[in-house]
Amino acid sequence: MELTKGSASSVAVSTVAEDGYRRIPLGLERGSGSRKMLKRMLRVMFPHKNFGDAPYERAAEAVLALACEKPGRQVAFAAAIQELMNMSFETLDDDAALEHLKGIAQTDFFKQVQGRALLAFYDDPEVWSLLGYEGESFDKGGYIDRGFNDLDWLPDPRIEEYGGEQ
Amino acid sequence: MKSIPLDEAAVVIIGSGAGGGTLAYELTKAGIECVVLEAGPYLKNEDYENDEWKAFHQMAWLDPRTTSGSWRIARDFPALPAWIVKAVGGTTTHWSGATPRFKDYEFKARSTYGEVEGASLLDWPITLEEMEPYYDRAEIAMGSTHRHGRPALPANNNYKVFANGAERVGYKLYATGPYATNAEPYDGRPASIQDGFNFQGDKSGAKWSIMVREIPRALETGLLDLRPDSHVVRITHDPSGRADGVIYADKDGQLHRQEAKIVCVAGNSIETARLLLLSDSAMFPKGLANSSDQVGRNYMRHLTGSVYARFDKPVRMYRGETMAGIIADEAQHDPSRGFVGGYYMETISLGPAFLAAFVEPGAWGPDFTRIMEAYANTAGMWIVGEDMPQATNRVTLSQTMRDQWDLPVANVHFDDHANDVAMRNYAYGKAEKLYEAVGATGCHRTPPYPSTHNLGTCRMSERPEDGVVDRWGRAHDVPNLFVSDGSVMTTGAAANPTLTIVALAIRQAEYIAAELKRGNL
Ligand SMILES: Cc1cc2nc3c(=O)[nH]c(=O)nc-3n(C[C@H](O)[C@H](O)[C@H](O)COP(=O)(O)OP(=O)(O)OC[C@H]3O[C@@H](n4cnc5c(N)ncnc54)[C@H](O)[C@@H]3O)c2cc1C
Repeated sequence: MELTKGSASSVAVSTVAEDGYRRIPLGLERGSGSRKMLKRMLRVMFPHKNFGDAPYERAAEAVLALACEKPGRQVAFAAAIQELMNMSFETLDDDAALEHLKGIAQTDFFKQVQGRALLAFYDDPEVWSLLGYEGESFDKGGYIDRGFNDLDWLPDPRIEEYGGEQ
Repeated sequence: MKSIPLDEAAVVIIGSGAGGGTLAYELTKAGIECVVLEAGPYLKNEDYENDEWKAFHQMAWLDPRTTSGSWRIARDFPALPAWIVKAVGGTTTHWSGATPRFKDYEFKARSTYGEVEGASLLDWPITLEEMEPYYDRAEIAMGSTHRHGRPALPANNNYKVFANGAERVGYKLYATGPYATNAEPYDGRPASIQDGFNFQGDKSGAKWSIMVREIPRALETGLLDLRPDSHVVRITHDPSGRADGVIYADKDGQLHRQEAKIVCVAGNSIETARLLLLSDSAMFPKGLANSSDQVGRNYMRHLTGSVYARFDKPVRMYRGETMAGIIADEAQHDPSRGFVGGYYMETISLGPAFLAAFVEPGAWGPDFTRIMEAYANTAGMWIVGEDMPQATNRVTLSQTMRDQWDLPVANVHFDDHANDVAMRNYAYGKAEKLYEAVGATGCHRTPPYPSTHNLGTCRMSERPEDGVVDRWGRAHDVPNLFVSDGSVMTTGAAANPTLTIVALAIRQAEYIAAELKRGNL
């Protein structure tokens, strides 16, 4: 399968300080349109057709929090978002928007947005339930009585080791 | 708890994981007092989190490391070469539980495979026959299913797909184990509730780990002085070249020195090698026990890879034991496949948070989203096979990065060997065939995760010039220094390593106890 690739996801050891987004962020402040722009960008990156806006908004917030951790990064993010505004990214249809993101996929800005948004978006309990994942299970007694073996479209297989001739 | 004075020359064990924890239990059981120094905190079952990233940030080794080489990890996760734990119990708290044994020929890799260009293959100085009684003891300790009367775990959803696929492509050697999690109560611990959070520490205690078994029992003997949050930064030696103490930093960075009569290093392959390299001196200019220049070399991580397959019906792979499914048909040496050595296939499941991060690092866009969208209908397997030891795959001290104590961090350099690449591609193909046989509508070949199996940086060898330790894990250069973890592995075999690490540690404990009695230590 051909996958559209940025490069490194920024998973690993850095955690984003929850309170990173506290100063008045130049160019990224509320009303600047940066959230809306990021939200659109994330929808093009992770196009789950039936998902509402809320998880994309939360992922956009996480990206902004990352952006605001350091002044240099904040300036770079604000500039990159301004570029997207200047070319009216939000008015592009899905295909054109995807093409545009492919074109900037190797930039630092894109890689940081992709890495941070991916972590936040798929770590969101609403996204989990939209995907059919049930999250925490120990306190509910695990799945021993809640369908760990409820797959019924295949026969029950042997669980013991093979007893015959090899 | 026992308190051993700092100025008393003690048996000191560094690291409380599969190797160090087993050694501590076996020695204290034999009446020998031990100090265990563990860099991480003492977390218990109730502290563990049913949440992938929370558990990872709670338990994983997150001190910085660096990477180099052509492996994809250096690009995708440059600061995270390995996925291992920093806590009492070591990585057995995160592990899943698959416990196959090594095979006879795998202890004789050099003689069986012959010369493989670019590989530094060597036969182990010990044989399967010698290991068998210790494998028995390890399986009984760990409660491996399908062994010694322990019943099989039931089939979960992921296994149903996996085993039916196996049957349809003609594999025979599939089962839900051997797997060190209780199908019924055993050894004072409950049966599995199939909660699906093995990789996050297992709150129920059904899964064997050093934290649930060996540590509490060693403490009960009254002979164990367990010191969590104690990060060893140097092993010292006397003028004759015998180890005589270890220096460690507590969680505030305060240094302490414990005198030692025996030092056993079990920090998992990367940190074990790093600690020996950090312990250089005029007498050991290349690092302690490193006259061979083999410390840090021949780093192995197993050939791994995963295949995630999509179906048009629900699977819900996350429900139930993460890795209770093993196929052993390909775990044999059959060079007609185009490579030496063999591999296992094992079920695996990740939640959406980890799947998104690891299924194809760096990916985004519609094709990536399709993989995630199919989450509930996805089945997964992991491929684990023998990778070739190479002298240049190596743990060294970083020239550029230092840790919180201002000590050089480990750099992990790795290049895949051509044999590794051939085996991985072959195995991907077989995995896809298996899933297609039960109706997969699409499959994704996932590259190796940060290394969960870290082996070989202090390998066992008959001759001192070929390796770091002898057949007992005793350093060739330093008579009272032992290595007690996966770094002693001469070659990696196809099997997951922990059963063998535990068996080797039980065997080593017996040897140390006997040598102490004989007055040889
Ligand atoms: C997600 C996952 C799944 C796995 N599943 C399986 C499986 O199914 N089957 C299998 O066989 N294996 C599995 N493994 C691998 C298994 O966990 C390891 O092989 C095993 O735990 C290694 O044992 P060890 O003693 O070498 O090191 P560890 O168990 O990692 O213990 C090393 C300990 O030493 C401590 N330490 C390191 N340096 C220092 C220092 N300088 N001072 C003090 N303490 C130090 C560390 O904090 C750590 O606690 C899995 C691993 C992971 C991550």
